[in-house]
Amino acid sequence: MNALLTVDNLTVRAGADPATRILDGVSLTIHEGEVLALVGESGSGKSMTALALIRLLPAPLVAEAGALTVAGEDLLAAGERRMNAIRGGTIGMLFQQPKRMLDPTATVGAHVAEPLRRFGRLSRAAARRATVELLADVGIPEPRRRARAYAHQLSGGIAQRVMIATALAGQPRLLIADEPTTALDATVEAQILRLIAAKKAELGMSVLFISHDLRVVSAIADRIAVMYAGRIVEQGPAAELLAAPQHPYTRALVECSLLRPDEHGELYAIPGHAGPALSLTAGCRFQPRCAASHAARLEHQCAAAEPELAFSGGGSADHTTRCWVASPQAAPSHAAQPKEQV
Amino acid sequence: MTFLVKRLMVLAVTLFVVSFVVFLIPYLTPGDPARKILRARVGDLDADPEALAGLRETYGLDRPLLVQYGDWLGGALRGDLGLSYTSRTPVVDMLGGALTVTAVLAISTLLLALLVAVPLGSLAAVRRGTPVDTAITTVTQAFVAVPEYWLAPVLVLVFSLQLGVLPSAGWEGPASMVLPCLTLALRPMSYFTQVTRASMIDVLGSPHITAARARGLGFGATMLRHGVRNALLPVLTLFSLWLAGLLGGSVVVEVIFSIPGMGRLLYESVVNNDVPAIQAGIVSLVGLAVLITTLTDVVHAWVNPTVRAPHVSG
Ligand SMILES: Nc1ncnc2c1ncn2[C@@H]1O[C@H](COP(=O)(O)OP(=O)(O)OP(=O)(O)O)[C@@H](O)[C@H]1O
Ligand SMILES: [Mg+2]
Repeated sequence: MNALLTVDNLTVRAGADPATRILDGVSLTIHEGEVLALVGESGSGKSMTALALIRLLPAPLVAEAGALTVAGEDLLAAGERRMNAIRGGTIGMLFQQPKRMLDPTATVGAHVAEPLRRFGRLSRAAARRATVELLADVGIPEPRRRARAYAHQLSGGIAQRVMIATALAGQPRLLIADEPTTALDATVEAQILRLIAAKKAELGMSVLFISHDLRVVSAIADRIAVMYAGRIVEQGPAAELLAAPQHPYTRALVECSLLRPDEHGELYAIPGHAGPALSLTAGCRFQPRCAASHAARLEHQCAAAEPELAFSGGGSADHTTRCWVASPQAAPSHAAQPKEQV
Repeated sequence: MTFLVKRLMVLAVTLFVVSFVVFLIPYLTPGDPARKILRARVGDLDADPEALAGLRETYGLDRPLLVQYGDWLGGALRGDLGLSYTSRTPVVDMLGGALTVTAVLAISTLLLALLVAVPLGSLAAVRRGTPVDTAITTVTQAFVAVPEYWLAPVLVLVFSLQLGVLPSAGWEGPASMVLPCLTLALRPMSYFTQVTRASMIDVLGSPHITAARARGLGFGATMLRHGVRNALLPVLTLFSLWLAGLLGGSVVVEVIFSIPGMGRLLYESVVNNDVPAIQAGIVSLVGLAVLITTLTDVVHAWVNPTVRAPHVSG
């Protein structure tokens, strides 16, 4: 399989201050036709990863990367004009609150027709026909009537289907879906997930699926990358990572997702909070909340330096973990350069 | 469609109520209406009982109030608002002339204000926090405090007396409109700029703009297609408020520049106690204000579908 998306050492800062790293050395690869899920709790930097990929970070945030390649094209070298063709063309985007992603003063049809006319070079009338077809194709009932509707007249599920139609209109090679079902109720969520999976299979797209919910991810992902405070802490094949999580944070996420009460009838919650990106030290970012580090008496090592993403005996070779406890074979002396990537 | 019908009915009812209240105005102030007419015509002389009786006869002043109102309303509906007490010419003619002058003045003033304010406010929003933004914000905030009775003489001093390029008074031709328009436009221009800036900042940060960019629309195209329309809604509301206000005429500006508009007409009618002119003037101003509000709502509904279309889910 060929890599469709390659992200190497992506770092996002707020302004010029080098201490504020919202993303720190994020490296990801998505192969052709593959679904990579990016998982992490709120504020971990998932949306900023997505926006950095299409180079649309909000004002004070700036991104740097060793490489950023999509479908063989270097996005770091692309001019703004070329980026506009890549956004919506090579890369389609879905967002968390679909109703707020639609212009309240423009019809559904106008949204879908926009990329159709730009990328398909269709006439107005042809674009209108194609819009209705596309709306029907993503399972919207009465597409002709819906094309004339406005965002406030849609339910969240229909609005997300509209967003999917809009994202697919440019026939993207990569779909970035940033928590596309978080704002939807469970039945609708399942429908949307099925739709995304079906479209992915039909069009042979790759998908970067962002979520905070491992249960949702398990239904759709081929591989999973776990993000904590702007860092990838574990990465591997979906089934294996869920069955045998290596990083204490991933384990905690898996435990949370099971919604299994303990002997006191309490649901498991990870103690403490993810620190803001500004207060980060040289050590492992999860260390202050990590029971495993404590139990293994590795607190000093964990607080002093952060390990590399490394094979940790999880099974397949591309299952890697950034943890002193999980991969004790990694020598602590290597930790002196925490910014280097494997 | 039902939306429009509903608005028009509200308009009719409002006008009806207003007309009755306005009709009562002369009866709300103490004194015999016939005496007031006489005083309006010949000054404060001792009233001749015969003249008074004659006036009551001509204007039907001794009939019951409701009959008089019906009479007046019937006339008004046929476009007859009575004769001015002072000039004895039809009030409709006086009003028509003054209203046209004021409408031309008000609309050119506000279009000028809008033309400057929208680009300026948008620029400030896009360059938010930069010296450009600070300059625009500070200057417009200062402009709001400049009174017309100060600005008008300054403009006259510079452009008429020193440079001699524009007339200092009168109402003939476009050149004579420039200074009154500038005087009147400064404050609405400042407010429009501030509101454009605020709502533009709001729109720039809204999720659907990010989504449009993510579909591959460039910044300019995104603004044109999905930004401006949203950002102009509050400006539109403010515009209609100012229009309704300015149609009442600006006494200060009309007096300083000798413009025969509504402000001067109303001012003189009140001073002269010219009741028919006052009544007609107020009814037409209130009517215009309500009409403008209605038009604004219609335009609003056209620009903003959340007002027009029903909320259905599905
Ligand atoms: N303009 C900004 N300046 C500084 N920090 C910012 C800015 N915008 C976002 N952040 C920070 O970036 C971090 C990552 O935010 P991001 O939106 O990517 O999180 P997320 O993982 O998508 O969370 P969620 O699940 O809530 O969507 C957050 O800690 C946030 O505080
Ligand atoms: Mg997010």
